[in-house]
Amino acid sequence: MPQIQLTLNGSPATVDYEPHHRLLDTLRYGLALTGTKEGCGEGECGACTVLIDGRPANSCLVPTYQARGCDVRTVESIPAETLRPLLESGATQCGACTPGVVVTSAWVRSNPELIETHTLRQLMAGNLCRCTGYDGIIDGVQQGLDMDAESRGAKP
Amino acid sequence: MADRTMPSRSPLPNRPMNDGIAMSDDANRLDGVAKVTGSAKYGRDVMPKNGVFVSFIRCPWGHAQARSIDEEAASAVAGVLEVEITGREGRYHGEPIGHIAAESLAALRRARSALNIEWDPEDADTEIGSPEASHDDDPDGADHVLEAVYTTPVQTHSSLETHGTSIDHMGDRAIIYASTQGTFSAREGMDRVLGMPQSRFKVVCEFVGGGFGSKLNGAGKEGLTAGRIAAKYGRPAWLFCDRAEEHLDTGNRPSSRTHVRIGYRDDGTIVGGSVRTWGGVGVAGGGGGVVMPSNRYDLGRIRKQHADVRFNGGGPRAFRAPGHPQGAFAEELMIDEVATATGRDPLELRMKLDREDERRSMYELGARLIGWKRRQPTGTQASVLRRGFGIGSTSWNRFPARADAEVVIHPDASVEVRTGSQDIGTGQRTAMAIVVARQLGVPLDVVHVSIGDSSLPAGPASGGSVTATNTSLAMLEAADNLKETFLERIAAQLGVVAGALKIREGDIMQDDRRMMTWQEACAALGSAVSGRGSRSRRSDRQYSGSGHSMGVQFVDLEVDSETGVIHLNRIVAIQSCGRVICRKTAESQIIGGVIQGLSFALFEDKLLDRNTGAMVNPNLEFYRIAGPADMPKIEPVLWEGNQTGIRPLGEPPTIPTAGAIACAVFNAVGSPVRDLPLRPDRVLDAIEGGRS
Ligand code: FES
Ligand code: FES
Repeated sequence: MPQIQLTLNGSPATVDYEPHHRLLDTLRYGLALTGTKEGCGEGECGACTVLIDGRPANSCLVPTYQARGCDVRTVESIPAETLRPLLESGATQCGACTPGVVVTSAWVRSNPELIETHTLRQLMAGNLCRCTGYDGIIDGVQQGLDMDAESRGAKP
Repeated sequence: MADRTMPSRSPLPNRPMNDGIAMSDDANRLDGVAKVTGSAKYGRDVMPKNGVFVSFIRCPWGHAQARSIDEEAASAVAGVLEVEITGREGRYHGEPIGHIAAESLAALRRARSALNIEWDPEDADTEIGSPEASHDDDPDGADHVLEAVYTTPVQTHSSLETHGTSIDHMGDRAIIYASTQGTFSAREGMDRVLGMPQSRFKVVCEFVGGGFGSKLNGAGKEGLTAGRIAAKYGRPAWLFCDRAEEHLDTGNRPSSRTHVRIGYRDDGTIVGGSVRTWGGVGVAGGGGGVVMPSNRYDLGRIRKQHADVRFNGGGPRAFRAPGHPQGAFAEELMIDEVATATGRDPLELRMKLDREDERRSMYELGARLIGWKRRQPTGTQASVLRRGFGIGSTSWNRFPARADAEVVIHPDASVEVRTGSQDIGTGQRTAMAIVVARQLGVPLDVVHVSIGDSSLPAGPASGGSVTATNTSLAMLEAADNLKETFLERIAAQLGVVAGALKIREGDIMQDDRRMMTWQEACAALGSAVSGRGSRSRRSDRQYSGSGHSMGVQFVDLEVDSETGVIHLNRIVAIQSCGRVICRKTAESQIIGGVIQGLSFALFEDKLLDRNTGAMVNPNLEFYRIAGPADMPKIEPVLWEGNQTGIRPLGEPPTIPTAGAIACAVFNAVGSPVRDLPLRPDRVLDAIEGGRS
């Protein structure tokens, strides 16, 4: 089996992969990181969102080989304590979309300047959810941004 | 790896209207941590080692015969275990005509193309069409008659986790990881295909990625086929649909056509008439019912006839309030058409027609919250952006279902709530923990829930909003039985009479004196104690309460009269459900119901090509569901009314939304759009046609 080297969830890793496997398959089947979900397999729903070099990507559209040398982060690496706002705001029902939502929200929160040019609803538009109506999701991301701003000592 | 623990309490969300109504105002979903951290395991996530992958071979046309199939070539693909063709005719796009089993998903894919099937397409019917309605004579006492046809498209459930089952076959026993709404019904037929008695296997579905009715039919063809393969090879088997298959062959809300011929008086009173409805059921035998009239309004004497129409499409399955949203769309818009024709305010007319006084109070509150006063009479706006307001109403009865429950106090002071039925995302797990914590008198954080496992006490399949309403009765009885045994044993230890003891916030109290802490008491037990309960006539009498859930929704939107695009501003959803258990999950259910109604109103449409019968949008790009950017501000209001006990909440909030939106669009543009979805081209046609 071919291999690639990458940084996976913060640690250097050498990963075996099937040549035809998408990054999503390698994560889920090869590495048993099943937090990343498959909702559509063609870049429409966002359930498979991971961060590649800090930017959200649909891992169902990324051939594994393309992730060589990249910094790949999955939901499993997002620090749980930062997720409290999403938990409290009721951002999840069935939870099938949630890992993707969490990863996109982590991207928004590490790039808070994005909200100067985009609304949260636009920034989260790549993540479909059939259950929650997005209300809790948007609230949770907003509260997360507020929390981050507070801890940076800026005005919330 | 980061610390996976998080506090489970939080300050209140910002909806002061609902403060203090629920048993728990601040509890978070108990499985929220597992869900936000990605550690929750769904059926699709279970890929047992040495598993066999299975997929169906499906018809790509509305109706076709497979003339030639290269089974040999497909079987010869490396990694393929078997190719089985079970029929040659496909009666709808997506109908299985056989299956492939292989060592990997890639081998499955290669084998599918190696089949090289040559199809002879045949003519396909793709829709209800325009059946003739023979209406009776005009109703007596009418000054005017409204004749109109309302249609709704096929809507697919579009759960984010697709249908399927993963079977861990371990020789003489098995675990079925099913994505199902019925942990117990998923066992049916499985014994036969596995060749194992039900005592040798169990169904586990701790987490289910949505269902909305589409996962009610037991293990389904996915589970049974996977079971057959698992048994045949004595290995684990995995079969999950992809998104296209999910749209094509896992059920839907059937399309509908409602033809009304209704009489009304100058004052807006509706005096009756005839309602003819048709449901588009694909190749299924039935299931296309349209709930119109709803019986919420006094519409005089209605003669109703219904017929299901078959065509070349996948059959329907129950979908959150089956038959209701499509019926409510026709009914609400019809009422607004009558109101407008008679120069009456639709709110005032509903106040008159509605059969429930309680809903009249809801209308008053809703009108105030949405700002109904700002509504301009229908058809009076000439600006580019036109504001519209609309109303819809809803109701849902409680249906009895079988449910058992067990609650256990362990010596380590934890309380285990045991129910086999599933939490499909509704918050059942959280709700049952809250119910038990309150009834026992212990803090929520000592309560743990074991759920979604057929070796636990039996519970209903989650359809018709029966899960919480019935399981809670069993839970209440179990908690009471447990409390009695527990206090008897503690009283014996303390040498007091059991009747003198109470549990308060976990403390064992005699009068106002704390005799023992929760930890001390549980440790003193030495062994676990348990109590059982079930939903029965007796528990019904004691705990069930009365009344049915009802609600109203108000919509405020804008229509761009140049583009036909609808922009939703706000939706106020007032909903009663008896005693609210968990505020956050209840609010979330309401908002979730609204968004599915909204998405039905504006976007969703399973389109079959009229020439080939094939679905042209079997994906989430062109089969559009509402996304974050489509959402208005939704304000759920938990209504405390005449209902007592725990009443249904899953279905009712999705019923009125599409109708209310259609009414608001009518109000804005002056002509009704009688076909869902309310696409821009239809809105423009209505503006230009100016019929009203
Ligand atoms: S699974 Fe990748 S976007 Fe849907
Ligand atoms: S919580 Fe079910 S899809 Fe988002």
